[in-house]
Amino acid sequence: MFKRKSDQPIGLKIIIVGCGKVGTTLVDQLVAEGHDITVIDSNITKIEELTNLYDIMGVEGNGASYSVQMEADIENTDLLIAVTGSDELNLLCCTIAKQVGNCAAIARVRTPDYSQEIGYLREKLGLAMIINPELEAAKEIARILYLPTALEVSPFAHGQAELIQFKIPEGNILDGITLAQLSSKVSHKVLICAIERDGKVTIPSGISEMKAGDIISFVAQRATIKNFMQNISVKTSKVKSTMIIGGGKATYYLASQLLHMGISVKIIEKDRKRCEELSVAFPKAIIINGDGTDAELLKEEGIDRVESFIPLTGMDEENIMLTLHARNLSNTKVITKINRLAFKDVITTLDLGSVIYPRLIISEAIIAYVRARRASIDSNIETLYHLFDGRVEAIEFSIDKTSRVTDIPLMNLKLKDQVLVAFINRNGNIILPSGQDCIRVDDTVMIVTTHHGFDEIEDILR
Amino acid sequence: MNTSIIRYILGQILKLQSLFLLLPSITAIIYKEDTFLNYLTVACLCFIIGYLMTYKKPSDTVFYLKEGCVATALSWIVLSLSGAFPFMLTGEIPHFTDALFETVSGFTTTGSSILSNVEALSYSSLIWRSFTHWIGGMGVLVFLLAIIPMSGGSNINLMKAESPGPSVGKLVPKMRSTARILYLIYLGMSILMFLLLIFGKMPVFDALATTFGTAGTGGFGIKNDSFASYSPYIQWITGIFMMLFGVNFNAYYFILFLNIKKAFKMEEVRWYFTIITLSVFVIFTDLMQFYPTLGDALRDSFFQVSSIITTTGFATADFNLWSTTSKTTLVLLMFIGACAGSTGGGLKISRLIILIKTIFKELTSYTHPKSIIKIKMDDKPIEHEVVRSTNVYFITYMIIFVVSVFCLTFENKDLITLFTAVAATLNNIGPGLEMVGPTANFGHFSDFSKLVIIFDMLAGRLELFPLLMLFHPEIWKDTIKKKLK
Repeated sequence: MFKRKSDQPIGLKIIIVGCGKVGTTLVDQLVAEGHDITVIDSNITKIEELTNLYDIMGVEGNGASYSVQMEADIENTDLLIAVTGSDELNLLCCTIAKQVGNCAAIARVRTPDYSQEIGYLREKLGLAMIINPELEAAKEIARILYLPTALEVSPFAHGQAELIQFKIPEGNILDGITLAQLSSKVSHKVLICAIERDGKVTIPSGISEMKAGDIISFVAQRATIKNFMQNISVKTSKVKSTMIIGGGKATYYLASQLLHMGISVKIIEKDRKRCEELSVAFPKAIIINGDGTDAELLKEEGIDRVESFIPLTGMDEENIMLTLHARNLSNTKVITKINRLAFKDVITTLDLGSVIYPRLIISEAIIAYVRARRASIDSNIETLYHLFDGRVEAIEFSIDKTSRVTDIPLMNLKLKDQVLVAFINRNGNIILPSGQDCIRVDDTVMIVTTHHGFDEIEDILR
Repeated sequence: MNTSIIRYILGQILKLQSLFLLLPSITAIIYKEDTFLNYLTVACLCFIIGYLMTYKKPSDTVFYLKEGCVATALSWIVLSLSGAFPFMLTGEIPHFTDALFETVSGFTTTGSSILSNVEALSYSSLIWRSFTHWIGGMGVLVFLLAIIPMSGGSNINLMKAESPGPSVGKLVPKMRSTARILYLIYLGMSILMFLLLIFGKMPVFDALATTFGTAGTGGFGIKNDSFASYSPYIQWITGIFMMLFGVNFNAYYFILFLNIKKAFKMEEVRWYFTIITLSVFVIFTDLMQFYPTLGDALRDSFFQVSSIITTTGFATADFNLWSTTSKTTLVLLMFIGACAGSTGGGLKISRLIILIKTIFKELTSYTHPKSIIKIKMDDKPIEHEVVRSTNVYFITYMIIFVVSVFCLTFENKDLITLFTAVAATLNNIGPGLEMVGPTANFGHFSDFSKLVIIFDMLAGRLELFPLLMLFHPEIWKDTIKKKLK
């Protein structure tokens, strides 16, 4: 009489310390994945807001205190994620949790002071993961600046392969050809994974046609990407100069990445003291002390000549305004960092170009870890990305044991609809698979799908 | 207002109701009664209407506190209305107001009856009356949450509106698991009690009806003299289980998960047992001289205290004939009620604790005007918001009480009858004193008075505000505007 929804696998027990913005995002995504969540925060109002909105439990108190952790039932918990505002408190939470309950622990550590010692800290404290939203955001921005036509660049197989998202411009050769024609006419070294047209995302087949204005997402070996882009006559050279507004942590990480890549960096920051610190850290960069939202100053510093423009202030509104301003003045590559997720739909309609959500990057990493914990031992999740606003998942599985998908030619596997095997990585060789290829043990395999919640490789089968 | 989610919940409630109505139908088959068709017809009707209402799933499943309150209040009204039809169809309670009174009294676990001769009812109707207690005791929406997967975490608002107590929390992170644990404890204790009654040579039918009435702390008897004719063993078992069902269910959760210390540390549970012990002592010393043996006096005083404080309303003796001290003790217990988070009604012990502590806080602030004191319970500070809402609750409760008593005065009855009639129904107990005492019933009230009492019973079970929300103009403005467009 009462129909049951699909049987969800039993969730993990997870404690999240800190109900700030990152904590809220994690709650949102992990609840959707069906886990048992308890949040800890010292602010009861924040807890109440969350518990009224999500199916979770709240405990008030200091997350690093033994009794509070006991109240949250740490002894039976699988995973503790500490995302309070303070790095030190996060590390303390995890250390205590590891002593009290035998659980895995993830801490957010974002101060540059510790960034050199992340590996050491993680190993010595026995943490499952240390997350740093600002650093991850900076890395993603740097990848896009390396290939400025792309909207998004996501690395797979330890950087061997990349998933590139870009918009097909008017009059491009790709306009009006099918995927089958693409491999015969242009290049067979790339694989189109997803096409977004008029707000709808599909996983294409051989007869799908591409049109100008579509956003496509393709996977290829890193070395062949530039070649392919040149073949379809799209500009591929990396940017040579960039202007960053705001001198926060994300700017720090980004500047060090970009300078390393040989891109010249100009930073505009209001606070004089912070400017001095940045100038000590990056002697090669040009540090301007001034208000980044002052149009005259931007003009004086050459906003219309710079090849890329990245507003990284703490305010989303400022970042969006600056992006629109820059796009208005010139053709410069703009990347916008957005912190708040609540107004995502509005932002998608604004046509800002590349948009980075540091919090989503972090939750992707944690979800990949959590799903891997829940999955069987046949396969393991290496990386996971949400594409097209989370409508498409790209997951890389490592195949540890023989299962129902191994050693069978792909054409004989009964795959679900809207599932694509994008590549097989065999000892570092990226194979874009045809029907005759098989998945073998010790491969890693990348799956692109519009389904959600795959946590093992056998989920691709019907 | 998200009206589509409310429609959906009401539809699910009707479907559940059709499931509940199968029990009396089966009983009718077993006892070869002709009431079988009546119950089955209503069950089918409920299912069809419920099915139509849930046919289209709501697109927006998020609902806030106001939707939770409205859905809860309407659910209880829908349950009571649909549950009243069988009584009318079988002709046992032909009058609509009477049938509604009996059903509301059942679902709200009050146990007040308008019937003068209960034993004349068919077995199916008797079991349906008692079964409504069992459903209403733990709450039907909690049951809904336990069995139906509802997306969205905001369904805590449903539980908040239905569960008794000043602040409602979960036992485990997931709503559904919490609801399941509560119902498992409830079911487990009911089965244990049923077996113990059977062990005491109680007939199976009587044992089942008594278990339903006790577990829900309801109080519908299946005999005219309520409990007086049963053996002392059965009276003791029922008395003890009434007391146990009045304990905060969180305590049982702690005991189940081997944290017995924590269960006994709960301040509310300690107060509860202290109050019971004191009251039994007062009444026992009072009764001693009239009873042949001390055992009988102890049993009657314990049974009555347990029955009244948990708001069940079973009676082994006609306490209307007791001394004024004993009677007054019982009336005071009516107002105190059981623990929060139990199946009992009344003001709830935890509210009483907060109110008394507020008085002491106020007194201290007279001697030290600038002192800052946080009221604590279980060694944890209570949020100001909870204290404030408890105070407002108490005031609202008193106003409803006084207005209800006034509404009944047109009956030309004595004040004790009217006062205890409202006390017994607003607190979901059942019998009062004088003309509504344990051997009497509510049948002599006029239709208007019955409707007032029906309102009191619902308001008492839903803890006032969800029901009062229905009368807030803001709730209806949106809905009507939408309809007009």
